[in-house]
Amino acid sequence: MLRRLQRLAITGPLMLWAVLTVLWVLSSAGYLSQTVAMVLGFFLALAVAVAMRRLISWPLSRVAETAGQMAEGDLSQTLRVYESDEMGKLAQSLNQMAQRLRATLSLVTEEKNRMQAILDSMADGVIAVDGETRVILINPVVEEAFGLNEEASLGKTVLEVVRDYDLDRLFREALDSGRPVKQELRILTPEPRLFRVHLTPMRGGQRGVVALFRDITERRQLEKMRTEFVANASHELRTPLTSIRGFIEALRDGALEDPETARRFLAIIDEETKRLSELVDDLLQLASIEERRRSFRRQPVELASIIQRVSDTFATRVQQKGLRLRVDLPDDLPPVLGDANLLSQVFHNLLDNAVKFSEKGEIVVRARQENGGVAVEIADNGIGIAPEHLTRIFERFFRADKSRAASSGGTGLGLAIVKHIVEGHGGEVRVTSRLGEGSVFTVILPGHS
Amino acid sequence: MSYRRNFDVELAELKQDILRMASLVEQSIYKAMEALLKQDPLMAKDVITGDDVVDRLRYEVESNCIRLIATQQPIARDLRVIVTGIKILINLERMGDHAVDIARAAMCVCGRMPAKALEKIPEMARRVQLMVKEGLDAYVHGDVEKARVMCAMDDEVDEIYNLTFQSLISYMEQNPHSIPCVVYLLLVTRYLERLADRATNIGEDVIYLVTGEWQELN
Repeated sequence: MLRRLQRLAITGPLMLWAVLTVLWVLSSAGYLSQTVAMVLGFFLALAVAVAMRRLISWPLSRVAETAGQMAEGDLSQTLRVYESDEMGKLAQSLNQMAQRLRATLSLVTEEKNRMQAILDSMADGVIAVDGETRVILINPVVEEAFGLNEEASLGKTVLEVVRDYDLDRLFREALDSGRPVKQELRILTPEPRLFRVHLTPMRGGQRGVVALFRDITERRQLEKMRTEFVANASHELRTPLTSIRGFIEALRDGALEDPETARRFLAIIDEETKRLSELVDDLLQLASIEERRRSFRRQPVELASIIQRVSDTFATRVQQKGLRLRVDLPDDLPPVLGDANLLSQVFHNLLDNAVKFSEKGEIVVRARQENGGVAVEIADNGIGIAPEHLTRIFERFFRADKSRAASSGGTGLGLAIVKHIVEGHGGEVRVTSRLGEGSVFTVILPGHS
Repeated sequence: MSYRRNFDVELAELKQDILRMASLVEQSIYKAMEALLKQDPLMAKDVITGDDVVDRLRYEVESNCIRLIATQQPIARDLRVIVTGIKILINLERMGDHAVDIARAAMCVCGRMPAKALEKIPEMARRVQLMVKEGLDAYVHGDVEKARVMCAMDDEVDEIYNLTFQSLISYMEQNPHSIPCVVYLLLVTRYLERLADRATNIGEDVIYLVTGEWQELN
């Protein structure tokens, strides 16, 4: 730069002097008028001044401009280096700085992306807050669970983001005590869910807390269902047993002496034993279906023949009760993939219910093609199911009418077995019903393809 | 810390305190309805004893507000923040009381509530809870539009209230033996309707806080 200035300081005025001398000689020799020489001299002087300005300040402003762009974050700029003077060195240093920054930045970005990927793929929710419980990070699990969006949540307090008194209290407790805290919390927004929350104070200088959220709503529900199942099963097993023991005691206490009474009691004991063994069979079947669910035999099955065969076994019972049974199957039903024995169990259980809970009218079995699969409808004019029970009838041991069900002799597992088999085949079972008018059960099984 | 900055921190802390109380009240309403629908007297008791915390918080935060007015003599938006803060506190405290009322009713009907009589009460409760949530969300974000939408939901709640009230009365006519129980359900619908009104009040407060203008939205 300095050298360039020195050079210009000498060459510029010298050139100007030479040109002006030539102009003076020409005008004094009469080749040029004095006015023209003056005008020419003025423009020449102007040209030299502009050239000098450009030569000195243009590279400088170029450097300044690029440095400004770099300062604003655009590191893709490079300066072309023409000379090896100070200006050249400055440009070179700027280029080097930009390159180094680019490398550091890509390193940091890579690190951040890796952290982000880890956070994003975590199954647990993460909320990190600073020393004033302001959110500094949340991951997608938290965004989804609490209906949040990370950008809108950053910088807000945890109380503003997830409005929960206890959660806020836990965060402050962890901050103040510096010790990890864990607790189960039911958080209401947007839907009530149960979380196990672990809060750990940050280490390494920064004040803050990281909280992990694990959604345990489903697990708790399953645990509850399991306990209920054990309780129900024990209860169902105990009822016939109590009755059997009672009658045996009565026999032992003298009823045996009276052949008529003894025979009656034995018949009851026989009935109860049958019920007990049916119950155990159903329980075992349910357990084995649940266990094998993923490994059902899958062979092409003609549903029409299965349904026809099952319906035939009900003919006598239907007649005895004074009902009618109509089976309406089209010829072109596509085959479904499945286990023929299990599928006949499905239709057996549904027809058994239809007959059991109907006192009049007709039972209709209809089948049709639906979305490449088969939909089978079993409709009756029976007692129907109350709307509040509709969602629960597929639960194990659920009975819409407890007094009635006991006399009808079911185990309370029939529909649970139906549901498990159908869902195990990738299908679904639906029900519509009106109290006093009848019910329609629809089994939908996917097609061969 | 400068005088002004100190004041800003105190105003921010005021908002946090209000949100703490709001969360407690939301939980109370939820638990009270759970107690009623699942016939759970323990949960009802929980709501009733929990109200003490809400009341205590209210007095603490309210005296804090009065101290701020006295010592800082706020004007314009600062004053609005404190005044609406006090109003929201009062509304929240009353909402907490309604939750206690519902919990008491739940205890009275426990074990003998005819499921059919419930009618649209669960649906009504869901809407009221949504209104409370949206109202408080509007307060958190200073969202006038959200507050307006929330207040408009009050009409639906009123409609369900009228329908349920009528159907409960006809249920009592048909099942006179259930009157001692269903009367409490009538009260519950009334409390729910009042809760919705309180939520609307909070919506109006939010609009005043942000715009400085009063709007009757009820």
